[in-house]
Amino acid sequence: MLETILNYSDLSIFLGLMVIGYTCGTIAEKRHYKSIIKREKELVKLMVVNAEGRFAEGAVRTSFLVNGSTVVSNDYFKRLLAILRNIFGGRVKAYESLIDRARREAILRMKEEARSKGAHMIVNLRLETSTIGRSANKKKQIGSIETLAYGTAVVMNRP
Amino acid sequence: MKFTPKHIDGNVNVSKTHPLAELGWLAGGLMLLVLIFCLLLSVSTDIAVAKTPVSAEVWLGEHFIGRMDALENEPLQRLLQPLLDNLPADSPLHEYHFTAQVVENEQINALALPGGHIVVFSGLLEQAESENEVAMVLAHELGHFAHRDHLRRLGRGLGLTVAAFLLFGQDSAASDLASKFFLVSESHYSREQESAADRFGLELLVAGYGHAGGATDFFARVGQDAGSRIPYLLASHPHPDDRVRELQGLIAANGYRVDAVIPLGKDLQEKFPVGEECPGEESKPAVDK
Repeated sequence: MLETILNYSDLSIFLGLMVIGYTCGTIAEKRHYKSIIKREKELVKLMVVNAEGRFAEGAVRTSFLVNGSTVVSNDYFKRLLAILRNIFGGRVKAYESLIDRARREAILRMKEEARSKGAHMIVNLRLETSTIGRSANKKKQIGSIETLAYGTAVVMNRP
Repeated sequence: MKFTPKHIDGNVNVSKTHPLAELGWLAGGLMLLVLIFCLLLSVSTDIAVAKTPVSAEVWLGEHFIGRMDALENEPLQRLLQPLLDNLPADSPLHEYHFTAQVVENEQINALALPGGHIVVFSGLLEQAESENEVAMVLAHELGHFAHRDHLRRLGRGLGLTVAAFLLFGQDSAASDLASKFFLVSESHYSREQESAADRFGLELLVAGYGHAGGATDFFARVGQDAGSRIPYLLASHPHPDDRVRELQGLIAANGYRVDAVIPLGKDLQEKFPVGEECPGEESKPAVDK
């Protein structure tokens, strides 16, 4: 048994990384989604729109910039699926959840900031991906998705 | 417009496919592609090999041997001669000029290289006990030449490497992956050819020496300490015990005599000393190791 592993050491390392990538990646993703859904429910009353805000004169007490950003890493198993997808084409399903998680997490962080500063709503929401990981898909580099969400938090003059 | 806060269940942005199911489909598809490619490659190499003249092979061999740091070995050549003298008249092997060489290497193995070069690793000679079993190894390699297995292997390896480079580029993860699948199927590839070469070798040994003594000795010994020292042999060849069984079956079926073996000649031992197994040569000092 041990001898087989040593004889095919690179294959064993590859399989080992795949198992680690799959188990750790799945656990991390499940926990993250659980936390995302819980926090989204908490913050659902804080309105976020990507439209430009137009308010009657005197309705707005103050407004300020809020932003939230997040970096979510790829794992070895997802990377393998993506590599295989490179051969056959089609949707890279393995990466879809990474984008989804990064976007929702960034918006949540932005909303959390807005709430802590007493905002009533966020207008002009914009989403961007930042560029630290542009070289991420090169070999022996860490692959990750970075999302930045920013908007204008508005505090209303309410009685 | 009124804002109604509502949490939306479900997620349209993430596919529902289970990642392991996706892996199964993709890996299965890749395996199928590789399999089809291997099949095409082996068919086309077979055709190409059949059309390659010996002269082209000799040219190829000259370029290959230049890098092997090999030296022609007189005593080995002497063992090879009776085998060559007893080739069937219509054998394609007459077109070759065979050379037998020894290369310093711990592996217990021998190679057939393009152009009629037989390379025996010193590890094999070190543990060999009789002239007959070394002759059997040489005859086995001649079998590879007769079936042109050496060219076939070369062609397949070349085709696959070129294909992986063309498809995925020199250092992409995909070509690494493809080569991993390739290595697994490659070890199965030569098993039948090894058995065929064994059969050819046995016939030649009997023709050259008049009896089948020593034919199974080498594989029997290799089978005894199979495992740690000979991973190469085990990987791409049939299990030594199976080969012994097959050869013994052939010897019995053809009614070959099994006579006493000739101990390994002094000249081969002096360069590559044998241990105490050889009668009368207990304490040979290690010369030129």
